[in-house]
Amino acid sequence: MKIENQGECLSISEIHELTAQNSAIFRDEVQAALSGSPAVIEINLSKTRFMDSSGLGALFALYRATAKRHGVILRLLNPMPEIQQLLELTQMQQLFEIVRR
Amino acid sequence: MKALLICPSIRPAVPHLSEFGPLATTPILGDGIAGHWIERLAVLGAREIQVIAASRDDRVLAAVGDGARWGVRISVIASNVEPTREEAAERYRPKGEPGWLPAPHDIVVMSHLPGCPQFPLFESYACWFAALAAWMPLALTPARVRVKEARPGIWISSRARVSPAAELIAPCWVGDQVVVEAGAVVGGGAILEDRSVVGARASVTQSWVGPDTSVGPMTSVANSLAWGSTLIDWRTDSVLRVPDPFLLCSLVKPRSAATTDRYGRALGTLGTPEAQGTLISALRASMDRTPNLKLSRLAQDKAL
Repeated sequence: MKIENQGECLSISEIHELTAQNSAIFRDEVQAALSGSPAVIEINLSKTRFMDSSGLGALFALYRATAKRHGVILRLLNPMPEIQQLLELTQMQQLFEIVRR
Repeated sequence: MKALLICPSIRPAVPHLSEFGPLATTPILGDGIAGHWIERLAVLGAREIQVIAASRDDRVLAAVGDGARWGVRISVIASNVEPTREEAAERYRPKGEPGWLPAPHDIVVMSHLPGCPQFPLFESYACWFAALAAWMPLALTPARVRVKEARPGIWISSRARVSPAAELIAPCWVGDQVVVEAGAVVGGGAILEDRSVVGARASVTQSWVGPDTSVGPMTSVANSLAWGSTLIDWRTDSVLRVPDPFLLCSLVKPRSAATTDRYGRALGTLGTPEAQGTLISALRASMDRTPNLKLSRLAQDKAL
């Protein structure tokens, strides 16, 4: 996983899977990077091939800690069709801005 | 009168439909495709039907039996390849032999449902769903005694259990022994095959839910075919194997004896209580954005 702080935008990429195996690490690393108080968080899911409920839980925890409490814009970039399906199945696409570019 | 039915073997455009059995036995509104065709041919006067199965003929035989159910005599013929209509005529129908149904019902390739040739079943998942949606008003045949049209465009089995707090929107089909829990929204354009379960506050729209499939509480199945843990978006052909059974799963798999209720079983698959709580909060937060589901929130919280 790669985390880049680009001014007001925190960019997270190179996530190959987000599961029970690595969701705690994801949470901790992103939490550590939030100290800069970014206005936008972009999570690039273009390389994420697999996600389970723990991964969804990690995304929701991030939503709750940033977008819901502090109005941070939370974007999911280019999710693969399967991940998009999972987001739709759990209705979590309503919580995030899903962007394709 | 005699007739020949040709089972579709391989259809590359819809590979996942044949994962659960031969395409001819794939359930559509309570019966297999072969069942629908045999019923139609029997109504047209067929008394002897030969079913040509190019793959898994044992499963086809198990599904159609000897035909007593329809008052016909059925024999299943195993074939190495799926014959075309012409090949089947040459091989199995002696020229000039009397006693056959008139064309085109003398030899039928089951690539569409009876009376719906304009809706091919196997050209894509979108075609499959369109064919099922078109078939819904036609599926209530006299042989289907358990299903009734409860309200215009809402067909429901007398053995289905639909919570009074659930909402059914036409058109929809609720099959035999289906359970729709409180706060769920089914339709429009939803087909729930036999023994499927739609959990509390879940929604199913423009979708087909296969038999023995559980759609978990608070989930949303839209524009999809859901069967077991497989979720196919019929607009994009994208296929997801849902990793967590509490979201979507088959109900015919062996279950753990350690957990006693359905929610417990489902939630037991999540790693930690913290993970369970977090995801349930996420689902609730997203559900709260759906006004028609929010109404029954209080009642559902009690149920959960």
